[in-house]
Amino acid sequence: MIIPVRCFTCGKVVGSAYPEYVKRVGMGEEPAKVLDDMGFDRYCCRRMIISHADLIGEIAPLG
Amino acid sequence: MDIEILEMAERKGSFILKDSTPAMANALRRTMLSDIPKMAIDKVEFHLGPIMVDGKEYESVTPLFDEIIAHRLGMVPVPTDYELFSPQSECVCEGEGCPNCTIMYSLNKIGPCTVLSGDMIPLGNSDLKVKDEDIPIVELTDGQAVLIYATAVIGRSRDHVKWQAAFGVGYKYLPKVGIDPDAADDPELLEVIDVCPRKVFEDKDGRLTVVNANACSLCRACERISRGAVTVEGDDRNFLFTYDTDGSLTARQVLDVAAGIIAEEAGGLAEQIEAL
Ligand SMILES: [Zn+2]
Ligand SMILES: [Zn+2]
Repeated sequence: MIIPVRCFTCGKVVGSAYPEYVKRVGMGEEPAKVLDDMGFDRYCCRRMIISHADLIGEIAPLG
Repeated sequence: MDIEILEMAERKGSFILKDSTPAMANALRRTMLSDIPKMAIDKVEFHLGPIMVDGKEYESVTPLFDEIIAHRLGMVPVPTDYELFSPQSECVCEGEGCPNCTIMYSLNKIGPCTVLSGDMIPLGNSDLKVKDEDIPIVELTDGQAVLIYATAVIGRSRDHVKWQAAFGVGYKYLPKVGIDPDAADDPELLEVIDVCPRKVFEDKDGRLTVVNANACSLCRACERISRGAVTVEGDDRNFLFTYDTDGSLTARQVLDVAAGIIAEEAGGLAEQIEAL
């Protein structure tokens, strides 16, 4: 749907990192390196970002 | 009991709690997780009905339920200044809400756009802008709009996680990695370097050397293949802590406040025992 504000498990803010992650991976960077670089070293926060399906844009017009 | 600080960045800290006990280490961990007072948005008012901007009418409709937006706003880290604000229960207003205990934010956006946490404007002091400005709150399409007033108050994370200042708080027994000096230059022992998943060892002029004992996870993979030449032990009197903060408080503040809270509560216990 929309990226959660925080990691479900530990509570680190992940919302603000998602747009940057998508942009950098889209430009050809390796996902693992981007996550390391952005300071996500716990796997709970990493899964929040890599497993997210951003569907809000498809729901929005139906609001 | 002593604390040796290894790293103290704005949002990340690690330290060694020295000469202590497992009970004390866990008390410190739990205090840091659940007792640090912090500001977070607690009340959100939505404008319902049409919103007029520049002669165009927008609907107060969003793809997410109001409750979800309110929850998302609550999770946004809000700067916390103990000098400026006090908990509502101890405030001069007696819990009604006043500038000494609450921060008001307004959020006014028209679609199409992504509403970001940075769009929340503090009423009054502009230093109180939220710490992380790029958190998406909701997405709006053409004709949709939001007009929201949100109020932040001080709370503690034992009541709700939105008031949690420190997270990923963890500790381990301080690793003690020893190498038998007589066996250290045995070429077969150098296999240990590749077996260790945390890269604790290095080859220095043919001798096996410990370079990063703190990284050790006490997995003992090195012990198992070294036939007694390498020993790994966890020290149950010294603890290696690591933690993060969300930016509403600095790592340093979290540690100071936690130490203060433990001292205060332990002091209370001594008094109560005295009274018996
Ligand atoms: Zn996490
Ligand atoms: Zn007040």
